[in-house]
Amino acid sequence: MIPRAPGKRLSAAVLVMGKGGVGKTTVASSLAVLEAETHGRAVLVEFGDGESGRRALAGAHRGVDHLVIRPAEAIQRGAAPLFGSATIARLALGNFAMRPLLRAAPAIRELAMLESVRQIVADRPGVRVVVDMPATGHGVAWLRVPRQGRDFLAAGPLFDLCDRLGRELLAPGRASIVVVTLPERLVLEETLELCAAIAGEAGMPIDRVVVNRVPIALPEEALGDARALAAIPGPLAEPAAALASLLAARANARAEAVAAIDLLARTDHSIWRIPLAPVDPSAKDVARWLRAEGAP
Amino acid sequence: MTPAPEPLVVVCAGGGGVGKTTTSAALALALARAGRSTLIVTIDPARRLAGAMGVPITDEVTRVSLDGAGDRLSALMPDPRRSLGTFVDGLFEDEPAARARLLGNRLYRGLSDAAAGVHELVAMNLVARASSRGAFEVVVIDTAPSRHAIDFVTYPSRLAALLGGRTVAWLAGLAERAAHAGTAEGASAPRGLFAWGTGHVERVVARVTGPNLVPDTASLFAELALVRERFVALTRRASELLLGPRSSYALVAAPTAAARDDVVYLAGRLHKLGRAPRVVVMNRSESRPAPWARALRGGRGVTAPMAEALELLEEERASRSSAADALTADLGARLPDAPIVRLPFVEAIAPDRIVAALADELATHLDALLAAPARRG
Repeated sequence: MIPRAPGKRLSAAVLVMGKGGVGKTTVASSLAVLEAETHGRAVLVEFGDGESGRRALAGAHRGVDHLVIRPAEAIQRGAAPLFGSATIARLALGNFAMRPLLRAAPAIRELAMLESVRQIVADRPGVRVVVDMPATGHGVAWLRVPRQGRDFLAAGPLFDLCDRLGRELLAPGRASIVVVTLPERLVLEETLELCAAIAGEAGMPIDRVVVNRVPIALPEEALGDARALAAIPGPLAEPAAALASLLAARANARAEAVAAIDLLARTDHSIWRIPLAPVDPSAKDVARWLRAEGAP
Repeated sequence: MTPAPEPLVVVCAGGGGVGKTTTSAALALALARAGRSTLIVTIDPARRLAGAMGVPITDEVTRVSLDGAGDRLSALMPDPRRSLGTFVDGLFEDEPAARARLLGNRLYRGLSDAAAGVHELVAMNLVARASSRGAFEVVVIDTAPSRHAIDFVTYPSRLAALLGGRTVAWLAGLAERAAHAGTAEGASAPRGLFAWGTGHVERVVARVTGPNLVPDTASLFAELALVRERFVALTRRASELLLGPRSSYALVAAPTAAARDDVVYLAGRLHKLGRAPRVVVMNRSESRPAPWARALRGGRGVTAPMAEALELLEEERASRSSAADALTADLGARLPDAPIVRLPFVEAIAPDRIVAALADELATHLDALLAAPARRG
């Protein structure tokens, strides 16, 4: 049983998680758009080059502050207060031995980027900050890093940084976790594992599960009719069989989606659903769909 | 014993959600149907497809019986969760004491699932082992759904260089000095050009990180440095397979802007490695209605619900198709040397039916994929 976050409202920081290809960026951007539409302002945080957030926000960026966190800059920024000065930090991090170590030690990068998120949230009281987190696997590892740091480092400024992240960002009430998934049995199983890992290993309850790409229903009688026509010898038998096979696949996907959503509902998660669109929906479209589901 | 002939390697890369695993399987099936003994390797196995193909997720090569493949198709789907253990066991085969120390290292235990590239490296070495028996003419590699799917090719060699470099020597000295802190401060600090800066860095870093991090990092690197030779050998084998003269690259996209950008990004990464994509496969992007859909339109016996369903399906196809037209034109301009193969959106209950249908479509494109690799400088 996965603990459910208390209350309905999302926290100041919203961390959007999920495995690759499920539409994490789309959901994160549309949550930011929705928030900006409702409260005038929102922040979308992206790790990397900023391209996917820009693309997702295209034409709907009013009120959304899109911030991009790059690892090298985050490390420099996070290190300055630890070392006491930006210059000493730069000298230490630029050292021949430190540079390759920083590249090889993923945890340092993750800490620095989480610290950037913490600062962004702290600097903007009252503004919701939506974070497009890295894909699963990595995502959980990220959330675990401050805890591991606290257990591992007995003392010192780096310990303090981990401790502060654990108290001020990665704590129930400080950040909400939104997990994005697809309405397919196997993907959902992985998602439930992810939810359990987030709750168990990072101590964070799951606030919302967004089920993306829920197949829309096609006319119900069409499948039976197509099968009937396929059974009649003639030039349309084969085309009708092809249609029947496609409709059966759709009906199957739809039934699987309904079952997946039922299963989720039984785990007591709050669910938002987004319909399957044949091409990329815009963040504005998705924001509208999410609003219809009761978001934010 | 004469070495077995090296297989041709086709690396399929692309972003998440574009149908890369299905496309890779279809390509492998098409090759097997064309008479070539083929191994499909899935780096990040989708359990659904593995199940549909009857392939267990293990380190063993499994024969796949798909329509028309005969006995020429095999699959290898190693479990990512087990690969770090496999990797460490292989590296430290002759160093059991160092292996035990490594497994007990707090830093290693924390790092274990973040070790980028390890799974790929393990998978490539399984491929090397399988293909050294000469059993396969072609190996199709389905990479992880990420922009960084091919970066691991360079990552291990960087790490190998690191393990042989000054960093390890410095860390080893640092760990020793940390152990004797206060007794003879600075006595064994490195001499020469870097001595001054390094002494300062040591003090500053130790102050920031606290007492545990530096010694644990140092011992972790010391254990890895012990097995550096093996590490380098593993890396070299993976690089030879992936970047060797017999490898080619297929980038997989779908009609979305995100997928297009992933493909452009990956092509850029390949370019940096001196390579170019041989072909771009655009999934779910058929440009015309299927013949059966045209046949049914206005046909006798087509009921109103059927007509409505056909209309909805046609609307979906048309919007996918026009998105694909725009993206194909755009990709064609950015990657002028890579032909774009558009595949239809195949919907079926059983994933193996989808694989079989896409294999039919890919059959005419096999030569383009396997021709002598184009090199870029």
